[in-house]
Amino acid sequence: MATAEKAAAQESAARKTTRPAPLLPLALVEKLLGAAIARGASFGEVYVERATTTAVQLDEGKIKSAQVGSITGVGVRAIRGAQVGYAYSDDLDEAALLRTAETAALIADGTREAVPQSMSRRPLPTHYQVKQPLAEVDVARKIELVKQADAAARAYDKRIQQVMGGYADQTKELLVANTLGHFAEDRQDLCRLGIQCVAFGKKGERRTGFYGGGGRVDFRFFDDFSPAQVGREAARQAIATLGAVPAPAGPQTVVLAPGWSGILLHEAVGHGLEADFIRKGTSLFAGKLGEKVASDLVTVIDDGTVAGGRGSLNVDDEGNAGERKVLIEKGVLRGYLYDHLNAGLTGQRSTGSGRRQSFRHAPLPRMTNTYLAPGDSTPEEIVGGVRKGLYCRQFGGGQVDISNGNFVFEISEAYLIEDGEITKPVKGAMLIGVGPEALKNVVQVGCDASHDPGLGTCGKDGQSVPVGVGLPTVRIDNMTVGGTGA
Amino acid sequence: MDTSSNVRKPRAAKAGVEASRAAKAGTSLSDTCEQLVKLSTRAGADDAEAFAERSRESSVKVRDGEVEELQQATSRGVGLRVFVGGRLGFAYGTDFGKDGMRKLAELAVALARGAAKDASNVLPRKLGRAADSEGDYDPAIEHIDPAWKLGAARAAEKAARAAHPDVRKFDSTGAGDYLSHHAVASTHGSPGEARASYAYVYCSPVAERDGQLQTASWSDMRRRLALLESPGLVGRIAAERAVRMLGARKVKTQKVPVIFDPQMAAGFIGGLSEAVNGNLVFKKSSFLGDKLGKRIAPGHVTITDDATLGGGIATRPFDGEGVASQRTPIIEEGVLRSFLYDTATARKAKARSTGSAQRGWSSLPSIGTSNLFLERGTSAPADIIKGVKRGLYVTAMLGRGADVVTGDYSRGANGLWIEDGELVYPVQEITVAGNLLEMLMGIDAVGTDLDFRSSTAAPTIRFAEMMVSGT
Repeated sequence: MATAEKAAAQESAARKTTRPAPLLPLALVEKLLGAAIARGASFGEVYVERATTTAVQLDEGKIKSAQVGSITGVGVRAIRGAQVGYAYSDDLDEAALLRTAETAALIADGTREAVPQSMSRRPLPTHYQVKQPLAEVDVARKIELVKQADAAARAYDKRIQQVMGGYADQTKELLVANTLGHFAEDRQDLCRLGIQCVAFGKKGERRTGFYGGGGRVDFRFFDDFSPAQVGREAARQAIATLGAVPAPAGPQTVVLAPGWSGILLHEAVGHGLEADFIRKGTSLFAGKLGEKVASDLVTVIDDGTVAGGRGSLNVDDEGNAGERKVLIEKGVLRGYLYDHLNAGLTGQRSTGSGRRQSFRHAPLPRMTNTYLAPGDSTPEEIVGGVRKGLYCRQFGGGQVDISNGNFVFEISEAYLIEDGEITKPVKGAMLIGVGPEALKNVVQVGCDASHDPGLGTCGKDGQSVPVGVGLPTVRIDNMTVGGTGA
Repeated sequence: MDTSSNVRKPRAAKAGVEASRAAKAGTSLSDTCEQLVKLSTRAGADDAEAFAERSRESSVKVRDGEVEELQQATSRGVGLRVFVGGRLGFAYGTDFGKDGMRKLAELAVALARGAAKDASNVLPRKLGRAADSEGDYDPAIEHIDPAWKLGAARAAEKAARAAHPDVRKFDSTGAGDYLSHHAVASTHGSPGEARASYAYVYCSPVAERDGQLQTASWSDMRRRLALLESPGLVGRIAAERAVRMLGARKVKTQKVPVIFDPQMAAGFIGGLSEAVNGNLVFKKSSFLGDKLGKRIAPGHVTITDDATLGGGIATRPFDGEGVASQRTPIIEEGVLRSFLYDTATARKAKARSTGSAQRGWSSLPSIGTSNLFLERGTSAPADIIKGVKRGLYVTAMLGRGADVVTGDYSRGANGLWIEDGELVYPVQEITVAGNLLEMLMGIDAVGTDLDFRSSTAAPTIRFAEMMVSGT
């Protein structure tokens, strides 16, 4: 045990700062690790989390409520081969925690085989841009952000008659230690401001707009990313799509505007490259390393090290450092996303992709910030070259079936392209495709690399985690558009 | 951003059932709530309400007949809503100690002082009462043999494998149980405590042929263990649903009749239910907002929300703010009869609460459905298919679907193509789209096959015409 404390002491001496007390006494962490493998598990892990969440909701121009909550809990995992035992507790009493570790240990039914290695702390870089923990920022300042965004949205146009908005942040401190001797602590702050508007047109027509942003950033982020600009953009989308005609159904050329359109990669390939699906052979990308799965123009990167990125991680929830991984290089499949369990079972190393929603969940391999490397076409060239097609400017959510590769994503603001010009707005459009086929039809990639403003949350097996996406302007041919128009 | 690998699990508010812990604190959940209410008034609240919950969850996943993951936990938490001069504050936590509760009360009161005054910031004055009997609480689940889950999950996996040689892989197969116990108390009294029990089994096999993978999922969840579908049947149905999709292809873009199987029909009415959320209606943000009392569907369409339904997954004696549960007709023989309200929204809209406040301890109440269902119709499901010359039978979907603000509907679909009344081949990578008002009026058949395997249920339905987008 002494090793971790010593390491901690040396490190803090080196940094000449005082490290706050760990979330759980290290002697207790070590005791729990011992209990987790007492029945013959080969790996034990203790994850401790303290999360403080603040939310401000605005409704009808008024602050409906300010909400604050704080939860501390411990998750214990024991692994034997491919078998996992998981238990958690929000009671931090030593006896309750030992019972939790003993429950996880039940995955094995023999006697102790492994011995916990002495814990050692590894130096971590920081990819966050947060000085003051968001939980310590005065709630009044958070309320003010939402009020400003609301006022700007209402002032944009008198047809904006409903505005709903909110701000939420979380300051999450975590400690993770395992029987291989890994030990890591991190503080992960995250915030998000979002505004939704409804515009009312003629004959009861309603159109919506949504915009917002944030990330692992300091509260001062909103000095530049102004709430007024957020409110105006949400309002602009709603007003711009009033009078939209039904989206034409069937295959066509689509041009995706930069930013949140990166959800295309997240759905079309990202999930299918997560190592649990690969190991089980249930993803259509299993066994395809080195094969051509996309056009030469497509290079896809999952990067946990983006400064301030919503999906960025100094360490993942298994204590491994966040990494930049090239998943597809010039159309060729290069790698998968590994967590500890699936890496170990397939002879690979973790790519720092083990994530969990909270201490109540066992980690899964997940994406962080997933984006497409820029190409060399200008956005103007790309749009100008399309005789007839669809320009997709803003996007909603998406979903994928990782076995047959079918994915969808919603287009919330779209326009027809006629003879190289963006013309009429269309409504109710959605894109559907099969991952590799859609990516083989990518014929132009813009030079305007762009990340989304920090809004995405990804769901898998009932666990939600924050993610980032990014895409430059892209042209895809022969993409099926769902809609009601002819 | 959801993978379709999601399995159905009780969307449980996470919270703890451990006798020893309650004993340690020496208090029941109701006592805890009542103490918090007192501490809040002492801290300056005019009105206060506490919602506390404990839960126990236990689950197993299997792979190749072996345990893949065992998970077990108990937890608890409490949420506190206070009103100070017509302003609302909310705080939550997991610390049930005296000090922790006092701090929680002070925090909630401090937060209220920063919010805006609103006349709708009120608590219900008339509260329901906890059921005298245990109702849908099943002690058999509380005392379940830990070996049951493993046996059930193994049986489901084995049956799926045996159903067809093309089923060799699995996304996941599992079983589990879940117990929860919650209480509400406010400055206006307390309806008492309520308990709930659930058992579930699910199977998601992947069928493979000629390099194509197709997955499907089948599950069952019940309040009583004895009513749970046999795990072997769950596995076999899942396998059959995956295998019949092998060889799926696209079809041409065209307008045709479209049938939703019972799971997809349930998804459709679930999406539609957002349009009767009293809060969206009040904000003029629902396409059904001005249709109360009007015909919006043919006479064979009746949709009901019933929190008192015997054995229903969402059956409860009182809602998230203590209001008595009720049965609310939403669409009656095609006519829109009611929207759904909690207390605050009802006050704004000059309506009555329908007992529709939904909540966990870490969030404010919001309006939601309980047991929502489309009443059984008169057509045999096979006849609904037979009546279609050329069309689509949808068995799986991707995406969110209904936009209840605009009334647009567009979703990715998988299923089976119909020619001359027969299911002829599987189809994928297509979308179905329409306008919700036209879709509702166009429901031209409702099946007899209503089955409550989750809190939202519907029989097979057929839409006279929708746009199918493909090649």
